[in-house]
Amino acid sequence: MKTLISRTLILLSLLTIASFYSFSQESTKISPYVQLQYFKDNNDNSSLKTTLTYSKNRMEIPLEGMKIIFYSGNEKKNKIAEAVTDEKGVAVCDLKEKSDFSSDATGQWSFSTDFEGNDTIESGSAELSIRDVILKMDLAEVDSVKTITLNAEKIENGIEVPASGEMLTVYVPRMFSLLPIGDVTLDDSGNGSLEFPADLPGDNEGNINIIARFEEHPEFGNVEKTATLKWGVPSSYTVPKGHRALWTKVAPLWMIYTLSILLTGVWGHYLFALISLIRIRRNAKKDESSDLRNI
Amino acid sequence: MTEKKLLEDLTPEIESTGLKWYLTFAAFFIVFCVGIYGLIQQIDKGHIVTGMRDNVVWGLYIVNFIFFMGLSYAGALISGVLHLFHTGWRKSVIRLAELITVISLVIGPFFIFFCIGRLDRLPFLVMYPRIQSPITWDVIAISTDLIGCFMFLYLSFIEDFAILRDYRELNVPPWKHKLYKALSLGYTGNEKQKKILKDAKNVMAAMIIAIAIIVYSVLAWIFGVTLQPGWHSTIFGPYFVIAAVFSGTGLLIILMWIFRKIYHLEEYITKRHFVNVGVLLTIIAAFYGYFTFSDYLTKWYGSIKMDSLLIDKLFSDYYSLFIFANYVGILIPCIIIAFPKFRTIPNITIAAVIAVTALWVNRYIIVIPTLETPFLPIQDIRPAWIKYSPTWVEWSLTFAGISVYGMLFMLVSKIAPIISISEMKEKDQIEILK
Repeated sequence: MKTLISRTLILLSLLTIASFYSFSQESTKISPYVQLQYFKDNNDNSSLKTTLTYSKNRMEIPLEGMKIIFYSGNEKKNKIAEAVTDEKGVAVCDLKEKSDFSSDATGQWSFSTDFEGNDTIESGSAELSIRDVILKMDLAEVDSVKTITLNAEKIENGIEVPASGEMLTVYVPRMFSLLPIGDVTLDDSGNGSLEFPADLPGDNEGNINIIARFEEHPEFGNVEKTATLKWGVPSSYTVPKGHRALWTKVAPLWMIYTLSILLTGVWGHYLFALISLIRIRRNAKKDESSDLRNI
Repeated sequence: MTEKKLLEDLTPEIESTGLKWYLTFAAFFIVFCVGIYGLIQQIDKGHIVTGMRDNVVWGLYIVNFIFFMGLSYAGALISGVLHLFHTGWRKSVIRLAELITVISLVIGPFFIFFCIGRLDRLPFLVMYPRIQSPITWDVIAISTDLIGCFMFLYLSFIEDFAILRDYRELNVPPWKHKLYKALSLGYTGNEKQKKILKDAKNVMAAMIIAIAIIVYSVLAWIFGVTLQPGWHSTIFGPYFVIAAVFSGTGLLIILMWIFRKIYHLEEYITKRHFVNVGVLLTIIAAFYGYFTFSDYLTKWYGSIKMDSLLIDKLFSDYYSLFIFANYVGILIPCIIIAFPKFRTIPNITIAAVIAVTALWVNRYIIVIPTLETPFLPIQDIRPAWIKYSPTWVEWSLTFAGISVYGMLFMLVSKIAPIISISEMKEKDQIEILK
């Protein structure tokens, strides 16, 4: 018994220490992680995205409601926007109407983002250099083969130059995530092509969405082109009413029969046990009344 | 050994409660309170306070759930089989097995509740059930099993309640007398009542064996019907059942040792009981080892990419746990019990402790490494999402579960004797007849 009590006390002490340790971390000043990303969408609209997070107990926790300042330029910074982080710790700066960025000698834009910090969170910043790229996607059937042709030209010193040797990834959105269907490496003229699979299911008319992307490219950032056309296999997802299957609302009959038989068998035996208890009680009452009569 | 002696030996624990009992109970209660504090943290801040993330969505809670449910089914199987086969030595230990069944079955499902992010949606399981879903099977199976095991336990208690009701020298508060009177249903032990009770117990003993096998298989199928590496196995049903009996037998030995020591039951729980249950543990360990080897050999030889990745992970990141669960946990109990000279009560108890701990670890390495080996490539992956390690909240609730287990056993032992007086009396009569 003594051993049991002493072991229990040791366990309690360990739990208490663990609890205090977890609370003691609250008092330290938060060191944030600032990430700056560049995006260019299908309509050539550009934006900057800053994500402000910090790490606690191996988890990345977003910092909401923090003021973020966006700058352009490298040596001489020009403030271009201010934004406040949302619940995901994200602040976005739309660059659509802010095209007068100063570029360096090679034509690269420089952006930076600042978080000034406060009493509980340290300040932080991030920088990014981006070269504009013009991405084009052409979808055509070449000799009955559905072919995706991509072309990318980067801007160097104000001139369009083929983005040779660069790699793009082509995706098709599926239910849970994007399905990569292939990578395309651009040739010397900035062109590349990919055969589109003939057996991908589309909607009931065969429509399918295709996305070509530079992803987290060190020079171009995130740039994408999208298109929708009838290259998918028309698929009907409607299930006939009353169809019995694992995935429909109504279960296969064998399942219902099996479960019913099992439950009837088991609960039948329970009922027998319950009736036995009632019979014991009745028998006892009968005995009691006969004893009283004998008295 | 007469009924009078049995009552004199076994009722003092019902009549009075010592300081040690209160201290032990208080210690358990404090651990329970720490668990409640952890639970409040979890409800307040969400599952972010646990180690569970997008990939590893099941952690310690599910491990504990499987473990406790396994103990329960093992208790049901052991008590049912011992009852049906009229094993002579069973009488001292059968009640412990019955209590293991019910108490484990009460605690186990709570870990599912801890694991559910949206508890408010729990009624949907009943409101919109899908018979196709193994989760629905499990809900039906566990609730059916719980009712059946309660009924079997109650049936086995009736005769003892009647004996305690009629024992004039029993010095307990009036509410306990009233309780015994109500729960004994007026049982007097006449021939008709004996026959009714015996038939009901036989039927329920057979039924709980069948239900235990079905219910634990259903739990195994929740894993087995998925295509996850390590889980998608046709032998998972029987493998889980064998593993459950292994852990339950181990726990039975541990409880025999504890109650023998605390309540001074040396005369009733003898070395013979330890050896017999120990031999049962060894036989089951051999079967369990065979199933384990068969399962992993098939996966390893098949060399399916994800299975190979999982086995590599088990032999690298989880090497110590894997070796402990599947080598040490099987071989050491076998060696201790197989050789007669090692078969002392402390040695057999140590073997049981190793077996039970190994089984818990086995559950851990069944659940976690598989979830850390996902089929789908995950974008924007972070190490914290793919590598699970339990937090203090999960540990506190785990220990709270164990403490509730202890508290319930302590409370039950204050209501009725931990050894069945009626069974022992019956044994006495049989021996006199012989």
